[in-house]
Amino acid sequence: MKKDRVALYAALVIGIFLAIVPSILPLIHLDISIVSEVLVFALAGMSVNLLLGYTGLPAFGNAAFFGLGSYGAALSITYWHVHFIEAVLIGTLSGFLGGLVLGPFLLRRRGIYFGLLAIAFGQVFYFIAYRFTSVTGGEDGMNLSRPYVGLPGAHVTLHESSFYYVLLGIYLVVVALFAVLTSSPFGRTLVAIRQNELRVRYLGLNTDRFIFVALLVSSTIAGLGGAMFSLLINFAYPLILDWHQSGDFVLIMILGGAGTIWGPLVGATIFVIGKDIISTITPLWQIFLGGLFIACVLGFPKGILGSFAALRKRGTIGDDQDAATAEAHAPFFPGAT
Amino acid sequence: MLLHIGPELFNGLVLGAFYAFVAIGLSLIMNLTGTINMAHGSFMTLAGYLAFTLISHGTTFWFALLVAPLLTVIVGVVVERTLIRPLYKREPFYSLLLTFGLSLVAEEVFQLIWGANGVPLSPPPSLAGTVQLGFMAFPSFRLFITGALVVAIVGLALFLTRTRFGLRLRAAVQDTEMIAALGTNTQLLYMVNFGLGIFLAGIAGVLAAGMLGLNPTSGNALLMPAFVTVIIGGMGSLFGSIAGGLLIGFAISLTTFFIPAASEVSMYVLMAIVLMIRPRGLFGEEGIFG
Repeated sequence: MKKDRVALYAALVIGIFLAIVPSILPLIHLDISIVSEVLVFALAGMSVNLLLGYTGLPAFGNAAFFGLGSYGAALSITYWHVHFIEAVLIGTLSGFLGGLVLGPFLLRRRGIYFGLLAIAFGQVFYFIAYRFTSVTGGEDGMNLSRPYVGLPGAHVTLHESSFYYVLLGIYLVVVALFAVLTSSPFGRTLVAIRQNELRVRYLGLNTDRFIFVALLVSSTIAGLGGAMFSLLINFAYPLILDWHQSGDFVLIMILGGAGTIWGPLVGATIFVIGKDIISTITPLWQIFLGGLFIACVLGFPKGILGSFAALRKRGTIGDDQDAATAEAHAPFFPGAT
Repeated sequence: MLLHIGPELFNGLVLGAFYAFVAIGLSLIMNLTGTINMAHGSFMTLAGYLAFTLISHGTTFWFALLVAPLLTVIVGVVVERTLIRPLYKREPFYSLLLTFGLSLVAEEVFQLIWGANGVPLSPPPSLAGTVQLGFMAFPSFRLFITGALVVAIVGLALFLTRTRFGLRLRAAVQDTEMIAALGTNTQLLYMVNFGLGIFLAGIAGVLAAGMLGLNPTSGNALLMPAFVTVIIGGMGSLFGSIAGGLLIGFAISLTTFFIPAASEVSMYVLMAIVLMIRPRGLFGEEGIFG
């Protein structure tokens, strides 16, 4: 139980820090929309984390769900003139439906083939958005103006800083739910599937069903992230659905630490702010990004939080409580160390 | 009607041959080591650019067609020995990530060296015209490409089935440990196998550059259809890759003819249908060359 209290304190500290970040930003010359972007990408990283970090499935197609959320929000605003909350809900639902449609196909294979299928099927949505110019604006994307929040009796416009706090609220709720989910028997089963799916099946559990639910949760989180993204930048564009975007999400997750609660936030912080800073210095951001991939794989595959957890674990051998939790911090594939 | 669809179908055949060829290179590497080479497209582009540089320095197209892939193989083998080799003991997912990063770096490096805009790589004058076949005219270069790809595929099949080295490769796909215990140097096997896959990518890269144009991302555009080819044809099946490639080629050319807007999506629809009927792909038999 001591462990739980530590985790709770950590969450509290992170939450408070995120709440006061906007007042620190002017000191380091960063715009608040950058921090909002960090949170959006942290959501995307979290969606990859559930599939890849916990369940061990190479989720290389999550940009499809993210993009569906993005377009779900953008299209409903443009054509149905919905308000903010409805747009978020529709975007989230779009991500969920994407998972529902692709799930039966993706479930057919495991391991690296799952990754291939996820990449390939994800591309379908990219080409749909790219080709249906009359509806989606094609390559140019869709501009939109951020809708009101339709409260009873009042219409509230969200400016950058109030948008950030709304997003922060959503993010913290999702993190809390994610933490509960991953420490529940369901989450434990996902980790068990990652470690040895065959044994889980021998125990009489229908692993397909577990993976499907994980995929649905993941695609819903991604859809939510995507909806918030297009509301943040007031724009939706096809490349957000492309598999290169999925690669960024995977990198964010691995960079922070696979199978950790806060890893995606750490990864997204480095990714988004690093991109912002490097892009102002040189147009060669992509070389840095590719280098980051290579360095991550060769240098610290457990990610920043994962390596940190591994260090701590070494100090507390024999503590059962710790060992059980450390399982979730283990590298995300059996035999990966 | 038939008169218009004829050239379209022929284009489908050429495209399909390309996809099959790239897919064979991909699955060679995938089958032995489990490495999904996301940088395969980059190696194709590299070969195309090297051929372009060679030709603009006065060599013939034929010389470039042979030498550019070989130079690419050298780069490929260096990459394999230094970056990918440490990952063989780990989950295949890591090599996917690494080669993905590699392709990002490569794209920008190509842009730095050869510029962001496309460069022309024209086929040799002897292949510039068309061949009259009575009812329609075929561009000779495309005919040549189809012929060259067929010859290369037959050559590869002979190499894999008729030489001792090919035999060892196929055995290693089934049981690497056993092959190692019997005294085969598996690291050498991995290296040559990777080089072979890159050589195929190089040839495809030079030919594709002559037909489809050459820019920093042109190879990557062929990568996704090649993945779909592998999925449709079935992992590990040479014949499956050929069948899958041709199926996709025809599917794309037919949808381009009838519903242009759906031309890219058609292959994914095809993939979905095949997967519903045969989850392992048409000729998929995990880890065995057909």
